[in-house]
Amino acid sequence: MRYDCGWSSALHGWTIHEREFFLMAQVKAESARRETPVTLIDCDAHPYLKHEDELREYLREPWRSRTIPSRRQIYLPPGDGRRLDAMPPDGSPAGSDPRMVEQQVLQGIGADYVILIPSSSISIIPDPVFAAAVARAWNDWQIDTWLGAYNWHGRFKSSIVIAPQNPERSVEEIERLAGHPHLAQILVGSSALAAYGKRQYHPIWEAAARHGLPVALHVESPVGPTPPSPLGYPTYFLEFHTLYPTIYMTHLVSLIAEGVFEKFPNFKFVFVEGGSAWLAPIMWRMDKDWRGARAEVPWLKRRPSDYLRDHIRFSTQPIEEPDNPRHLLQIFEMMEAEHVLMFASDYPHWDFDDPKRAFPRLPDQLKRRIFCENARELYNLPATRPVDDLDAAQLSDELSNCRGDSVNRPLKRNIVGATD
Amino acid sequence: MARYVVGLAADLPPSSRRIVSVNGREIGVFNVRGVYYALRNLCPHQSAPLCLGEVTGLAVSDEPGEIEWTREGEILRCPWHGWEFDMRTGRTVFKSQARVKTYDVRVEKAMAAEESAGVETYPVRVENEVVILEY
Repeated sequence: MRYDCGWSSALHGWTIHEREFFLMAQVKAESARRETPVTLIDCDAHPYLKHEDELREYLREPWRSRTIPSRRQIYLPPGDGRRLDAMPPDGSPAGSDPRMVEQQVLQGIGADYVILIPSSSISIIPDPVFAAAVARAWNDWQIDTWLGAYNWHGRFKSSIVIAPQNPERSVEEIERLAGHPHLAQILVGSSALAAYGKRQYHPIWEAAARHGLPVALHVESPVGPTPPSPLGYPTYFLEFHTLYPTIYMTHLVSLIAEGVFEKFPNFKFVFVEGGSAWLAPIMWRMDKDWRGARAEVPWLKRRPSDYLRDHIRFSTQPIEEPDNPRHLLQIFEMMEAEHVLMFASDYPHWDFDDPKRAFPRLPDQLKRRIFCENARELYNLPATRPVDDLDAAQLSDELSNCRGDSVNRPLKRNIVGATD
Repeated sequence: MARYVVGLAADLPPSSRRIVSVNGREIGVFNVRGVYYALRNLCPHQSAPLCLGEVTGLAVSDEPGEIEWTREGEILRCPWHGWEFDMRTGRTVFKSQARVKTYDVRVEKAMAAEESAGVETYPVRVENEVVILEY
């Protein structure tokens, strides 16, 4: 957006304050009719409750009076798991203040849209009926807050929370909420009663596919129906966090082997926060094994790896950081990142990735696919979005900077060059 | 097209196979319920002795969890990595560039075989049939 210098003469004789007021009104008016290209989509940021009782208001008895099992943190992440500069000044939890998410994600890294993933940890609730009730409460809460009152700009999209340990209620919840303009996918946890390709989950995937909603898998609490590694509970947070891919691999291989993508040709699955550098080698292994073991799974009409491009996506964060950045580019080539990888920041967590800093220099086409196009296609997001007051506020900052004011707030940059 | 006399048909009854060496190449000759196949005894994947593998059928499916058993006796499975080959074409049953060479097999009256020029002779009675490999 450009500052219209043509007004200068017309404003002759106005005070500096009058000019400022008038010009900002022009900026806002212009905002109302302008569109800006969508260039950066953040596929993983976490909206938090301001306090636990906020969720209780959305539960009916007998659940309302019960203690709601919440995220069990048995390992000790850096910063207690969050970015310390994401803590709201009033002491409420990081990620609970929409204004800070606007400042640090929409404005800070310049995300046009952010796909929210509530840290609901539904998988840790052993009672499937209670779990479904809590999932529903999370949805009603986020519809009122992050997707309602907080979402005046329409740039928050979120995930339908379900309790996959209760497939029937999960299907009902999808039927209830599919079609909400800001619910872009369905969320399940990495810790599960069984690998997600198994037949008990197929009714959920059928409903998701029928409504065109991708299912996103995100890591949850280390305490869940299964331990966080195939060999139980590691000693340290370091091990727990490094080993996320072991469970992700299990779900990935299961979904492909059980023929979920043959059964539901529109079904899409997203692996969030489990890394991706392991993808090519595990698929090479599965392809090779399949050539000999194909007769067991004759419903697979293609090589296992051939299902990736049409059905499976991975988020970038936490991006691997090899000493030689070219090695990451080679990995991207092996895994066909151009088709399967989508940027994520994981705001407000301690291992947040900044799109401008976390990646090596990428070829333009690859950059567009990872930072925007893969997610835009998956979530049916538009190529442009309306300019809003957040953009105007950034412009105001830029004006201030041009005048030499000492404003040090983050500016939206040209995202196409985000990693330069 | 050269001809090679594999042996008496009676010595290659249904459900049997014989591996012969023809000009230094090993070729497996199979009788599957009266249908003869011949394939090179060399898997295109990692050079395993393919013709020592199991003769089997083809599992197909239109829906995950449902398996239909078809083409019994038309699939040869490599004894090393389990790749499945269509015995008629030598192609893998999954899409690939790998292919094993196949040969035509015919059964003829022994006299006809003996009269053919340039083939190895074989002591037979006139009423016997012999298996001929064309290569």
